[in-house]
Amino acid sequence: MKITGISVWQIPLTSLETYHMAGGKTCDTVESVVIRIDTANGLSGWGEVCPIPHYLPAYAGGVAPAIEEMTGQVIGHEFDSPEATMARLDAWLPGHVYAKSAIDIALWDLFGKALGAPLHMLLGGRRSQSLPLYHSITCVAPEDMARMARDAFKSGIRQFQVKLGADSNNEADIARLRLVREAVGAGPIVYGDWNCGANRLDAIRVGRAVAAHDVMLEQPCATLEDCAAVKTATGLPMKLDELVHDTGSLLRAWELGCMDAVALKLSKFGGLSALRRARDLCLHLGAKMCVECTWGSDIVTAAALHLGASTAPGSLLNVCDLSAYVAPRLDTNAPVRRDGRISPPAGNGLGVEPDLSVLGAPAATFD
Amino acid sequence: MKISRISVWRMTLPLIEPYALSGGRLTFEQLDTSFVRVDTDEGLSGWGEACPWGHTYLPAHGPGVRAGLEILAPALIGLDPRALDHVNRVMDVTLPGHLYVKSALDIACWDILGQASGLPLWKLFGGADADQVAVNSSIPTGTPEQMIALIRAASAKGYHTHSAKIGGADIGSDIARIEALSAALPANEKITFDVNRAWTPGVAVQVLNSVSARDWIEQPCETLEQCAHVAARVKNPIMLDECLHGFQDHLNAWKVRAGEGVKVKPNRVGGLTKARQIRDFGVSVGWQMHIEDVGGSAMADTAAIHLASSTPDANRLASWLCHYHLAVDPVPGQGARNIDGFATPPSTPGLGVRPDETLLGEPCGCYEVRQ
Repeated sequence: MKITGISVWQIPLTSLETYHMAGGKTCDTVESVVIRIDTANGLSGWGEVCPIPHYLPAYAGGVAPAIEEMTGQVIGHEFDSPEATMARLDAWLPGHVYAKSAIDIALWDLFGKALGAPLHMLLGGRRSQSLPLYHSITCVAPEDMARMARDAFKSGIRQFQVKLGADSNNEADIARLRLVREAVGAGPIVYGDWNCGANRLDAIRVGRAVAAHDVMLEQPCATLEDCAAVKTATGLPMKLDELVHDTGSLLRAWELGCMDAVALKLSKFGGLSALRRARDLCLHLGAKMCVECTWGSDIVTAAALHLGASTAPGSLLNVCDLSAYVAPRLDTNAPVRRDGRISPPAGNGLGVEPDLSVLGAPAATFD
Repeated sequence: MKISRISVWRMTLPLIEPYALSGGRLTFEQLDTSFVRVDTDEGLSGWGEACPWGHTYLPAHGPGVRAGLEILAPALIGLDPRALDHVNRVMDVTLPGHLYVKSALDIACWDILGQASGLPLWKLFGGADADQVAVNSSIPTGTPEQMIALIRAASAKGYHTHSAKIGGADIGSDIARIEALSAALPANEKITFDVNRAWTPGVAVQVLNSVSARDWIEQPCETLEQCAHVAARVKNPIMLDECLHGFQDHLNAWKVRAGEGVKVKPNRVGGLTKARQIRDFGVSVGWQMHIEDVGGSAMADTAAIHLASSTPDANRLASWLCHYHLAVDPVPGQGARNIDGFATPPSTPGLGVRPDETLLGEPCGCYEVRQ
């Protein structure tokens, strides 16, 4: 099965609710990059990556040049397995994991279709029929965030990520955590996420002020050492995200003892091949995993759901239905949340079929 | 003073001879460089260059420089180019990471600051005089005989410090290279063995505990942690290069005692502003440093030589000049050049290098409107 071409689309995704994070980062309309890898025997694989601006070392405009740099290592080659192809790409162009993530997902889609298997089977076998979702609450007024949490609770959501720090106001952050905690009652998981935007002192002050409540902190500061210090000083459990993106950083976080939970994002690690390795390592590191992507629509959502469904349920914290946060949908038949849970699509490979009328004309085609 | 326009040129820089490193794993025949000219509303213009060493060496590639500039250049229009820390903060907020894109813009802004203040960059970086910097040769991987012949040829051109590329699958070959090159080296010359990440920690420990040479070993393994593991188990001083990017990486390198020296390359760390911070940290913790760029014409070389020249002698090892390997010279005869094994930074204000624009052709990008 020879790979014959790669098409690249750039499609703006508009958040249904504009999304605010610490440090002035926002997510309103963001460009997602969708790719399709075609083969000589007619099978195609779909991939996607949607970098949030100013969030990670990744930007939408960097995807197409990186893919173009790598085309010679993909097109014209006999397709054997995603991992073999990705090893070739890693030797050809180090780094650029976010661009590789889209390619890797498309290769896995192809692999599943070629073998006649859904991806969750190839990623270890299905462990769960449905997966718990978390709901991310944009950083606005504390009372509004509590209302959003109540609405999400009514829809069945039992895990709540509370964005902190957008107004650099410790008292407001304390109120956000307290009010959301009270709004959803005992039981559900509530965690406050600074997206690296807090310094050690502010994070410790806020954390200690809410320490009597049942909350977790997420990624308060910009270094692992600072996050570890915040965990030690507050006694609160810690979830890490931006600072863990490969084997070395996972091991460092584990060594520092500040990784009770971890966000495994496809674009951060470089696709399903890399994320599966990270997932398998985290099973041993004892961190509960949120399996998702940075942002995006039905393709990245499906890819993450397949990996989530093949992960030991006791080690899976949650997944995210990113496609429910943005419009348009790329595949209106793709999974949607029900009672706070979601399942991967049926069908071989990813099991999604993006609507070409939504995508329009490709921005670039390589063959 | 405000930045009014940023123009970008792409240029292919053919190497005089193909260049192999890391045991032949990586071979290079030409480089893809980008020049930027930053214009201001007061008529001053500054030049910078970003030239990754191909696409296989670091997480950087030539087209990625131009793609990144599409995001970064518009964000700088209207800023005062002399406020270097602010310019860098804006770049870091606008596009996290992608340090290799930022270096061209940062160097061009330093060029403007130097011209505006009437001072050469070496003086702005703290130097008292335009100290000359020893230049080191770069010897590609080969048989011991081939490599010794290249070292002798370099010695004849005035080089007294040599960087020999080693690191292959065969442990015996690397042991043989290190021993033969060390034995053949004239008494007044120095050599560093650059492994370019090719060894696993086990191979590194095995090779380095089998050789009698006690010369510098550079970037033996892929990661900082692996290099630290090796540093604790061998007698050679360890120099770090590819595993260092941001300031935090340098802090971690110090914390885990991963080596006694680092290479400071503006394009790898994001420009002269960040390279200077790293240099200052290195001086304070007693590191010895090779200060040079990843690649590029005599423009990129000269930017690095300004920083090297202003670094205390005890902390400064020799610098490599990339332009020496190039078949073209877009900044004809200008800047820091190798004269009998030493390079001296220009003492004219700013960077002291301006390309011949007729050699560059038409710009491939021009940014004038703030976005």
